[in-house]
Amino acid sequence: MLEQNPSKEDLKDADYYDIALKSMADLDPNANEDQENELKRMVSYFFEREIKRELLNDPSLIGKTKDVYLTASDDLDQVFKGNYPRDLPEDQRRVTDYQLKIFDQLVELGKVESKFNLSFFTYPDSREAELAGIASSFMGSIFSILVCLMIAFPVAVLAAIYLEEFAPKNRFTDFIEVNINNLAAVPSIVFGLLGLGILLAVFQLPRSTPLVGGITLSLMTLPTIIIACRASLKAVPPSIREAALAMGASKMQTTMHHTVPLSMPGTLSGTIIGLAQALGETAPLILIGMVAFVNTIPGSPLDPAASLPVQIYIWAESAERGFVEKVSACIMVLLGFLIIMNLFAQIIRHKFEKKWS
Amino acid sequence: MKKNGVKMIKINSKNVDVFYGKKQALFNINLDIEENQVTALIGPSGCGKSTYLRCLNRMNDVIDICRVKGQIIINDFDINDKSCDVVRLREKIGMVFQKPNPFPKTIYENISYGPTIHGMAQSKNEMDEIVETSLKKAALWEEVKDRLHEPGTGLSGGQQQRLCIARAISVKPEVILMDEPCSALDPIATAQIEELIDELKKDHTIIIVTHSMAQAARVSQNTGFFHLGELIEHGSTDKIFKNPENKKTQDYITGRFG
Ligand SMILES: Nc1ncnc2c1ncn2[C@@H]1O[C@H](COP(=O)(O)OP(=O)(O)OP(=O)(O)O)[C@@H](O)[C@H]1O
Ligand SMILES: [Mg+2]
Repeated sequence: MLEQNPSKEDLKDADYYDIALKSMADLDPNANEDQENELKRMVSYFFEREIKRELLNDPSLIGKTKDVYLTASDDLDQVFKGNYPRDLPEDQRRVTDYQLKIFDQLVELGKVESKFNLSFFTYPDSREAELAGIASSFMGSIFSILVCLMIAFPVAVLAAIYLEEFAPKNRFTDFIEVNINNLAAVPSIVFGLLGLGILLAVFQLPRSTPLVGGITLSLMTLPTIIIACRASLKAVPPSIREAALAMGASKMQTTMHHTVPLSMPGTLSGTIIGLAQALGETAPLILIGMVAFVNTIPGSPLDPAASLPVQIYIWAESAERGFVEKVSACIMVLLGFLIIMNLFAQIIRHKFEKKWS
Repeated sequence: MKKNGVKMIKINSKNVDVFYGKKQALFNINLDIEENQVTALIGPSGCGKSTYLRCLNRMNDVIDICRVKGQIIINDFDINDKSCDVVRLREKIGMVFQKPNPFPKTIYENISYGPTIHGMAQSKNEMDEIVETSLKKAALWEEVKDRLHEPGTGLSGGQQQRLCIARAISVKPEVILMDEPCSALDPIATAQIEELIDELKKDHTIIIVTHSMAQAARVSQNTGFFHLGELIEHGSTDKIFKNPENKKTQDYITGRFG
C-alpha cells in the first residue's frame, strides 16, 4: 500500500514517522496540509511502528520497495464493514468526505483488506479501538487466578479435612459450618469492599494489582472449595477408613494415605469450578481498582492490571463503535476460557472415577 | 490347641459391657478364646456379635457414642487400659470385614500397606517376599501373580475377600477377626475361604462371626452363642451343636428362631 526508502541508520533508533507520513501523503499528491493530516489519520495512531516492525523482521528490505498492510483507524474499519453512517451530514461524522473519497479509491484498487487482528492478543488496552488488546487483562486474570488458587486451595483443603475428619461435633464446629455456608452466599461486592477496606486501606497493598484481586477472589472461592472437598471426603466409603484403621494405621495416616487421595478428584474439579467463578467475577475487582486504565502488560502479580471481565466492562462503556467488536471478542475469549476450565474439571472427575471402580 | 493337655487361652474377656449412647448392646460378657483355634460366634441379627468382635481390636473407638467397660486381656495385658497402644494392638489383631474392602490401589499396594506403616520391611526385596507369602497363605498367589500392579478392586468378590485376608496376615497378626467374611460370596468362594481358615489356624487364632450354622460347624472348634446382647452359652462346637445346655441355644441351632 505504500512505498518507502528507509535511511541506512540503525534500524531501531530510526525515526519512521516522516517516511510513514510521506507514504500516506503519496496517496494524493495534490493534497494540501489539512488534507495530509486527514490522510494521516486514516491509519492507526502508531502506524509508523508497523513499518518499523516490518523492517526489523527483515532488514534486507532496506533500499527496496515493499507493500505493507497498515492497520486502518477504527472509524475506517467500520466504514469498510458497512457499519458507518455515511449518509450523516459531514459535520456530524468523524470521517471527512475527503477521507471517504480516498478510502473508496483504495477499496476500488483492491488495496483494503479485512485481516485477522493478532494484536488483539498481544497489545494491552488502548484508547484507540483498533489498537486495544487483551494482553494486559488476560495476564491480569491469569495472575489473579493463580494468586487465588495458591491461597484458597491449601487453606480450603486443610479446613475441609479438619472439619470432616478431625473436628469434634460440637456447637463451635456447627457454628463454623453454618458460617462457611453463609460465606458462600455473600454477594461478591461485599468481598470487594472487604478487599478495599482491609487489603488496600489497612495493609497498604498496591492498588489495582492481581495480588489484591487474587486475595479478594480467594475469599470467595474458599467456601466453594471447602464445600466441594467436604462432599468428596464424605463420599469416601467408610469401609476404606475401617480397613486402614484395622491395619493399624493412625487416624492421620488413614486420612492422608487413603481418604484425602480418594477425595482429590472431587476436590480438584470443585476447585476448578470455583476458579471459573472467580475468573468471571467483576464487582469485587472494580472496587479494588482493577478497573483502572492499564496500557502495560503486567509481568508479575504486583503490577497493575485489568482482568477480562473488567475489560469487557470498560470497553462496553466506551463510545466508539470499534469497541463493540472488542467487547464481543473479549467475551468470546472469556467464555472459551471458562468452557475449557469446566471441561477440564469434568475430565478430571471422569478419569479418576473410571480408574478405580 | 492343647499344651500338655492344658488349653492355651489367647483372649480372656471379663465382664464386658458395651453401650451405644444410653442403649446397652452387650451385657457382662465373659468369654475365653483358645489359641490357634477357630472360634465361631453365632446368634440372631442384632445380638451383638459384631459389637463384641470390634471390642477385641478396639474398632469401637471409632464410633463416638460407643463405650466399652470391663477387661479384655490379651497376652496378659488389658487392652482397655489407657496405656494400650491401639496402633500396636491392631497390628497384632487383624480384621476381615463382611464386605470385601480392598484399598482402591494395586494388589501389591494393598498387601504392602500394613508392613510399610509398621516398618516391617527394610528393602524392596523383603517387601516383595512379604507380599508373596501373604498372597500364598491366602491362596491367591497363583491367580494374581501376573497382575500384582493392577487395581485390587478389579478382582472378583471372592478374590477380593482373599486379598483382604492376605492384607490382614501381611503384618503377621496373632489373632484374626472375621465378621461374616463369606456373606457376600458364592458357595465356591465360600468353600475356598473356609479351607483357608482351616489352614490359617496353624499360625493364627481366629474368631469368626457367621450366620450359617453349617459354616460354624464346619470351620470352628469352639462356638459362642449370643442372644440379645448376652452370651448364652459357649463351649466346643461339638457340644454346642449336638448337646446344648440352654433351651435358647437349642432352638436357635435347630432353626426355631433367629
Ligand atoms: N454404630 C451404632 N450405633 C448405635 N447402635 C448400634 C451401632 N452398631 C450397633 N448398634 C446396636 O447394637 C446392637 C448389636 O449390634 P451388632 O451389630 O453388634 O449386632 P450383630 O450381632 O453383629 O448383628 P448382625 O448379625 O445383623 O450383624 C444392635 O441392637 C444395634 O442396633
Ligand atoms: Mg454384625
